[in-house]
Amino acid sequence: MPLLEIRNLVVRYGEIEALRGVTCAVEQGQVVTLLGANGAGKSTTLRAISGLAKPTSGEILFDGKSIAGLGPEAIVRMGISHVPEGRRVFPGLTVKENIMLGASNRRAATSEISREADAMFDLFPDIRKFTNALGWTLSGGQLQMVAVARGLMAKPRLLLLDEPSLGLAPVIVQAVFKIISEIRRNTTVLLVEQNARMGLSVADYGYVLETGRIVLGGKPDELWGNEAIRAAYLGGHAKASA
Amino acid sequence: MDLALQLLFTGIGIGAVYALVALGFVLIFRATNVVNFAQGEFSMVAAYLMVVAVEAGLPYWAAFIVALLGMALLGVVFNLGVYYPLRHRSYLPVIIATIGASILLANSVLAIYGPQPQVLEGWFETPGIQVGPVYLDSQYLLIIGVTICLVIFNFWFFEKTLLGKKLQATSQDKEMASLLGISVSTMIMITFIYSAVLGGLAGILVAPVLFVSIQMGSTIALKAFAATIIGGFGDVAGAIIGGLALGLIETFGAAYISVPYKDGFAFLVLIAFLIFRPQGIFGERVAEKA
Repeated sequence: MPLLEIRNLVVRYGEIEALRGVTCAVEQGQVVTLLGANGAGKSTTLRAISGLAKPTSGEILFDGKSIAGLGPEAIVRMGISHVPEGRRVFPGLTVKENIMLGASNRRAATSEISREADAMFDLFPDIRKFTNALGWTLSGGQLQMVAVARGLMAKPRLLLLDEPSLGLAPVIVQAVFKIISEIRRNTTVLLVEQNARMGLSVADYGYVLETGRIVLGGKPDELWGNEAIRAAYLGGHAKASA
Repeated sequence: MDLALQLLFTGIGIGAVYALVALGFVLIFRATNVVNFAQGEFSMVAAYLMVVAVEAGLPYWAAFIVALLGMALLGVVFNLGVYYPLRHRSYLPVIIATIGASILLANSVLAIYGPQPQVLEGWFETPGIQVGPVYLDSQYLLIIGVTICLVIFNFWFFEKTLLGKKLQATSQDKEMASLLGISVSTMIMITFIYSAVLGGLAGILVAPVLFVSIQMGSTIALKAFAATIIGGFGDVAGAIIGGLALGLIETFGAAYISVPYKDGFAFLVLIAFLIFRPQGIFGERVAEKA
């Protein structure tokens, strides 16, 4: 049984049908990436899983239990942590406070949470020196690190990452993906990426979304091998296959 | 000089009341993005609760606790009845609902208690003490003392506790807070309870200085609202500084310029701030970053 299974998921925003029957699965221990152009429905898929968007129809099964229609607070308590697009680090709280609040989905003493937050800096050494800096003072790459660290504090069984490379310099993107490849040792990851090359470089499996539907799924090398697909959906260049 | 010292004491005393009510405004505004126009009525209702409890024969301290518990309950009812049903709407229906609630509260008290202003005794038997040239009224001393304690408590609560951080997170980004498992509706409930108790405390403390009347709520609320704008809307420190500043301005203005225009000075300063420094003394300190 897959850890996460989505069947015929439909999400409407008013008149607009953002997802028109998405079906996909994430196996325990895998990194699965959702690829596609802007507006294809990648973020909406994650928002439906984490409870921010209410599914119009279809099923979302986490560990065999239906979670479609539950609120975000209930879903994160079940073990799905969503690091949304735009990092959403609280601007008026410090880095440490932001990270500590990531544990709000579980019961633990404040001192224990504080210790765990300090330990997070071992995984993210670049932000250690900003421990007491307010969120709004950080750069995009630093914010992304804080957002991922905060997401991990939930001790999730499934981590949803939305566009972690968006707006970051290439060297920072490399650093973020290095962290993702470390996270995958203990956590299942569903990764949304516009940067197909980066997404597939860490993934075990990839899906391609187009206007609210999954049009293709496969292992990274299969997706790369398909010339037409690569040109149409992945925005890949000849260099990438080298 | 002696007069100035005396005025300083009185000004800070009355300013502290404005600061407490202003704090209630700011906390609810930050949590819900809505100005609660019934904040002043919280003070008025609490003063009446106090009058009722004292008349029922309760000792003063017990009446105090009963009135504050009543305010906590009013905070719960207000949240569930006024804010919660409209929480997914824009700010406008919520603001109108708070105006409606303020009219309802004022007229309910009018219907039950009638239009005559009531008198509430102060906490202390002794009216005050003379320290050098300054006469320290005991009720003003109490007001200042309680306000100092509350400002310290407020700082500790919001800066040093995880619950305070969760409240701040909720006021900064509700959707993100819910993604982390913070119960947004609980945080907003706590905010309403806290604000109702703060407003209530202000009302109970100021009641022996003023009369307890239906109108006392709107008078205090207008001044407190002006205080939040002077301090910088949405800023906790600004609300406190703004409240104190306003108390001092109107006290000194009344003494040195004109007593009948006492309320006018507060609003003159408010208008000046709106024209020349609309972001208030503290302005927007948290910059949004793309």
